[in-house]
Amino acid sequence: MNADPAAELSGAGVRRFTRQATATRADTSWLTLGGDVLSALTTAGVVVAVFGGAFSALRERIAARPEAAATDLPGELTALVAALLVTAGVVALLSRLGPLSATPATAAWWLPLPADRRGLLRGELRRVCGVGLVAAVVVALPVVLAAPAAPTLPEVVVTVLAAALVSLAAVGVLVVLQARELTGWVAPAAGAVATVAVVVPAVVGTVGSWTWVPTAPDISLPLLGGVPVLLAVAALLAADRVSGRLRAGALRERGTAVFVASASALSLDTRELGRALGTPVHPPRRTRSWSWVREPWQAVVAGDLAVFSRSPWRWGQLAIGTALPVLAARTDGLGGVPALVAVAVVIGWSVAAVALGEPARRAHGAPAADRALPMGAKDVVRARAIVPVVGLAVVCAVSAGVVGLGWEWAALGAATAPAWAGAAVRGGYRPELDWSGPVLSSPMGAVPTGVGVTLVRGLDLGVLGTVPLVIGLLLGEVPDLLLGIALGWSLLLGLISVETAQKKG
Amino acid sequence: MAKNALLEVQDLSVGYGGEPVCAPVTLGVQAGTALGVIGPNGAGKSTVLQTLVGLLPAIAGSVQFDGREVDERDAGFRRDVATVLDDDAFFPSLTGAEHLLLTARGHGVTAPDAVVEAEVEEFGLADRAHALPSALSSGQRRRLALAAAFVRPAKLLVLDEPERRLDAQMRRRLAARIAADVAEGLTVVFASHDAEFLSTVARRVLVVDDHACTLVSPKAAVAALHEG
Repeated sequence: MNADPAAELSGAGVRRFTRQATATRADTSWLTLGGDVLSALTTAGVVVAVFGGAFSALRERIAARPEAAATDLPGELTALVAALLVTAGVVALLSRLGPLSATPATAAWWLPLPADRRGLLRGELRRVCGVGLVAAVVVALPVVLAAPAAPTLPEVVVTVLAAALVSLAAVGVLVVLQARELTGWVAPAAGAVATVAVVVPAVVGTVGSWTWVPTAPDISLPLLGGVPVLLAVAALLAADRVSGRLRAGALRERGTAVFVASASALSLDTRELGRALGTPVHPPRRTRSWSWVREPWQAVVAGDLAVFSRSPWRWGQLAIGTALPVLAARTDGLGGVPALVAVAVVIGWSVAAVALGEPARRAHGAPAADRALPMGAKDVVRARAIVPVVGLAVVCAVSAGVVGLGWEWAALGAATAPAWAGAAVRGGYRPELDWSGPVLSSPMGAVPTGVGVTLVRGLDLGVLGTVPLVIGLLLGEVPDLLLGIALGWSLLLGLISVETAQKKG
Repeated sequence: MAKNALLEVQDLSVGYGGEPVCAPVTLGVQAGTALGVIGPNGAGKSTVLQTLVGLLPAIAGSVQFDGREVDERDAGFRRDVATVLDDDAFFPSLTGAEHLLLTARGHGVTAPDAVVEAEVEEFGLADRAHALPSALSSGQRRRLALAAAFVRPAKLLVLDEPERRLDAQMRRRLAARIAADVAEGLTVVFASHDAEFLSTVARRVLVVDDHACTLVSPKAAVAALHEG
């Protein structure tokens, strides 16, 4: 067989060959494509208009309310924290998925070719930049629209453009780190930044006085626009240059994670999605002896403690879960709207419940260890609620106590813990979606009937358990009767959650 | 160590996360010979093969191909080494023939259409060549993946259980084809559980094990396979 290296396809040539071969049997005409683009732009315009209007209305409602007591943090700061949280999430996600990766097909058919890898991966780099741009707009737009002072159109445009350029620079830096196999620290660092960003203002806003208000830097427009442009261009050029040094094995591994995550997202399997995107668990430094374990239920607790303590970023989740409601309650405007504080409470405690539900999720995925115990399945699930109850009692008590600034509020929070612990266990044992039955047509495609009920399983009873706390927030106090009702109601919901966690099958 | 071997492996330790999956490997594979790799499931055969071609980083030791440290990022290495490992992935919108044509043209093969047509015939895919991968059976997809290794020139061919999912007739044809190519100068390293395939193709066999990785004759390897 004769071959001429000069006749080999370049990276761009390989991409072109694949694209053209695909295009020959695609029924997409330029007209269809134009229609799709127009439709996407119209949808984006409608979304921006609707959300912009909603944020403006919210801002006006908050501004119209009388200032609540004990709120100290400026709204600009909380908006910045929200942006940081989403940015940290996107950065962690990109670092986990590459950011550059090769789909299984690409890894099998493109990467073994002698074509320049840089040219092969240039399309992937463009796609990741697109993801970064969309994320930047999604982060920046709400922040600028929700700013306490109504923004002008140029301010909105400049903020969104700056965010877009910074996102491109971030993608470039991540690719450079990927080429040097140095992305391992990015997700933990992003988690740490997110934790600090939530916890520090919440603590300072509670025990001291916060004075700093984030504002746009007072620098000239050419500098304001020029620096992000230079950073983005430099980072992307560097990324393009080093992409040829990426190893096929690493690209394939990240591509498999992308593939599994995409499939899980499309099939609405959030548990599998979490596994695909989760940071791998490192082997423990020491083997535990568990000398205190005497009874089977203690074995369940010991195992759950081990799983929880070895889960990546567990303390960060608990810290954010505790501090998020406090941050909302201490923010000017937000703190005076009980409904918004309640939303922050539900989000924060859900985050903590998800962290403490990890042992239940693991047990559901690999039930063999539980079956080996001399206990009934229901007793195992009951024992599995112990770690979440203890953990959430601390989280909810501290969180609610600081939100309401009183021991009675801490007691109300602790009383809510059984419901959230039940939610953690119920969510962990959530059954898979049943795709064998009838399906409904939705904007996301076909989904099984009962998808909503299945996906919110766990969270549903946790939210119900929070109702007494919401009543307390609306009343502005915690009557003894409410405390008693909260405890009884929470215990009942916790019991229902644990007893119905495993569906009979 | 064999002198002037095309593939030289010295104290190679392979595994994941710094944990070796088998004993270290030392061997040399001369050009124009075939080395079989055997071992029970989970022994580390696939990990050894993936490390030999640079898809996994070695924990320790070295692998040299044609006198140079293996680096799959080097275009010259990819030009010389063809692999069919554990991949069962295809572009859903490219036909089988287009996959092969992409490989042939990617390697600058002269008259790629004729080469692809010949290999399509050779691998019994003539009437399915223009079908999309989703319309192929598992065995046909395996044939397609194997055919891709033969529509391009290579000095070294690395195969992981090439007999997998093939019918008995195709297995025999493939073994005879590889043996003929080895006789013409191709170097082959392959993992297998098939005694007939092993005895037809291999000149030496590496037994992968936790305690020691040893080289044996094909006859001894076949006996070991029969003993299970």
